[in-house]
Amino acid sequence: MLKIIIPTIMLMPLTWLSKKNMIWINTTTYSLLISLISLSLLNQPSNNSLNFSLMFFSDPLSAPLLVLTTWLLPLMLMASQHHLSKEPLIRKKLYITMLTMLQTFLIMTFTATELISFYILFEATLVPTLIIITRWGNQTERLNAGLYFLFYTLMGSLPLLVALISIQNLTGSLNFLLIQYWNQALPDSWSNIFLWLACMMAFMVKMPLYGLHLWLPKAHVEAPIAGSMVLAAILLKLGGYGMLRITTMLNPQTSFMAYPFLMLSLWGMIMTSSICLRQTDLKSLIAYSSVSHMALVIVAVLIQTPWSYMGATALMIAHGLTSSMLFCLANSNYERTHSRTMILARGLQTLLPLMAAWWLLASLTNLALPPSINLIGELFVVMSSFSWSNITIILMGANITITALYSLYMLITTQRGKYTHHINNIKPSFTRENALMALHMTPLLLLSLNPKIILGFTY
Amino acid sequence: MNPLIFTTILMTVLLGTMIVMMSSHWLMIWIGFEMNLLAIIPILMKKYNPRTMEASTKYFLTQATASMLLMMAIIINLMHSGQWTITKVFNPTASIIMTSALAMKLGLTPFHFWVPEVTQGISLTSGLILLTWQKLAPMSILYQISPSINLNILLTMAVLSILVGGWGGLNQTQLRKIMAYSSIAHMGWMTAVLVYSPTLTMLNMLIYIMMTLTMFMLFIHSSSTTTLSLSHTWNKTPLTTTLILITLLSMGGLPPLSGFMPKWMIIQELTKNSSIILPTLMAIMALLNLYFYMRLTYSTSLTMFPSTNNMKMKWQFETKRITLLPPLIVMSSLLLPLTPMLSILD
Repeated sequence: MLKIIIPTIMLMPLTWLSKKNMIWINTTTYSLLISLISLSLLNQPSNNSLNFSLMFFSDPLSAPLLVLTTWLLPLMLMASQHHLSKEPLIRKKLYITMLTMLQTFLIMTFTATELISFYILFEATLVPTLIIITRWGNQTERLNAGLYFLFYTLMGSLPLLVALISIQNLTGSLNFLLIQYWNQALPDSWSNIFLWLACMMAFMVKMPLYGLHLWLPKAHVEAPIAGSMVLAAILLKLGGYGMLRITTMLNPQTSFMAYPFLMLSLWGMIMTSSICLRQTDLKSLIAYSSVSHMALVIVAVLIQTPWSYMGATALMIAHGLTSSMLFCLANSNYERTHSRTMILARGLQTLLPLMAAWWLLASLTNLALPPSINLIGELFVVMSSFSWSNITIILMGANITITALYSLYMLITTQRGKYTHHINNIKPSFTRENALMALHMTPLLLLSLNPKIILGFTY
Repeated sequence: MNPLIFTTILMTVLLGTMIVMMSSHWLMIWIGFEMNLLAIIPILMKKYNPRTMEASTKYFLTQATASMLLMMAIIINLMHSGQWTITKVFNPTASIIMTSALAMKLGLTPFHFWVPEVTQGISLTSGLILLTWQKLAPMSILYQISPSINLNILLTMAVLSILVGGWGGLNQTQLRKIMAYSSIAHMGWMTAVLVYSPTLTMLNMLIYIMMTLTMFMLFIHSSSTTTLSLSHTWNKTPLTTTLILITLLSMGGLPPLSGFMPKWMIIQELTKNSSIILPTLMAIMALLNLYFYMRLTYSTSLTMFPSTNNMKMKWQFETKRITLLPPLIVMSSLLLPLTPMLSILD
């Protein structure tokens, strides 16, 4: 695993020592190379995990997330070039350093074996993200957004630290490789109920669960494009990944402790989808759609069946790519009109037809059109929740309908109709932007040919 | 102040603390404390104005009271054990009185009221000595009597200190008061784990001194005593803003910086001893501290705070030379991977 981590760390000296006209080229190229290395991890020969050392391992759950993380760094760098073009050189280098630091922590988080090291790195991802949101965001609300982001996550995760340490006292080791063989049922007691809560709340806040999702629209809207991309695509998946890892230790309390969270998620996905229909701010719409998709993942993880785990993993990867692409598209609008209001930039299909094709593809994958991997994820989750309880099909069906409604609403408002008169002098799409969208879309389309690699460890 | 006299007084302060830390006779410890107290008063009053007079008087009165209480505890101990050697304290009453006396010297709740007022009234350098060096002597005595301290009283004082340190600092804009409340909260963390593992107290003290030293050096470097004047640093020395950001996040206990190490180790030690609610409560209260550090970083490093146009062209006629700042900054932020080193403190 060092073959990925050390090159990522070395991206930092690369940015600081590059010449002024080479920083973007150097960092984008080398981060693309690193993502190619990580692709080799997708080859998981047996049902077991690939163990690289005592500290790092990769298994069919973490490998796709790792590939997604490393794939996104060059995309983030490409997306940030425009809005940083007017900044002084040192600030550009600082921004790239923050992104690289975040990338390093994320790679280490997804491959950590020891759960406390996972925790430390999980918390460590907060610091660069906070700096990116607060320092380089565009409106005054970014300060509030950073505070909400930091404190919501920390309040959830400090009990997790205490819970992990007490589990370590009970079992002697928190090394994930050992725990999967040791697994014993937790005795039934009040303190174990609190232990369950302490373990899960950190990830629930991160996902986010419907009642604790207040930080997400703020953070996503106020962050600059790279911040939004990494938040939507990866940081939310940290919560899902953590939940998938830690529920193996938490039986049998999960069978009854999961009910409140299942209810919240099932209701919450409908609520947040419906809010999307009333949003005026484009980025806010995409942020709430993220909450809705992640609620599906929470439902899947808490049901704990093999099909639902497959659906959760597929949905995480698919949503990561789709949501990041939608944010890039929204950012291409923002860079031209400097406004996130949807109705201010209508009828773009007439002016930017190729971008309209990307908008169409992104909206179609967002509403889980067959045969994309979004559909595979959602379908598996719907099927497994139907087998868990027949009534959930009503809510799931309603959610799918409302998701289709708001995706098409977003598409039609921004692309179709007559264009507003003040945007007829916007710049045409840059090749960089088209390349960005293509690089988001190509993995998504290719994966629908062989979704086996993202279906996780229960395939 | 005349350099010769200043040197003598500073040496007396050092000597006083050394005597406290290295004696085995209770009377010598009391003498060390008194020597320390008397010598630090002129240092606190380096600038002669009513504010420093008031601060020094408050400091003198509280510390003298604490020394008298300490003397009383020593005498009671003498009565019950018949000897002056420092081992554990033999009588519960003496133990409680001694713990209260040392809490007064450290600034633990409910004896914390002097810390913000004294720290605010003196200059930044004197405040630095007050909040770091002066904590060493009482903490070393607490370390030595730790087997006999009443757990209930100590834990109550510790948790209350963390609460007071968190809530008290929320309404402050003066940097010295912020550092004072931060010191109260950190003292709370240190004493909470004293009975379980004194090594961790020493670790926390070490990391706390490094971080506080760094913060004060950065404040002295930008000659700022209020949040507003600190917010001008992006104009004068932009690098300082990054350093302030890193150090403040480290003080707030965010991984992966070294300020997380004592908190993690303390939570681990407390959990191993089957107290679960206490470390959870302490950890969540530490978030209050993080809030006002974040507010400082917001006005300093994460925004370009509005300032007048004159600020942008300000010349620095005399660059303040700050000793040891780079190593301190490195140590106060990057020490987390060296956590196993705490075994050297045993």
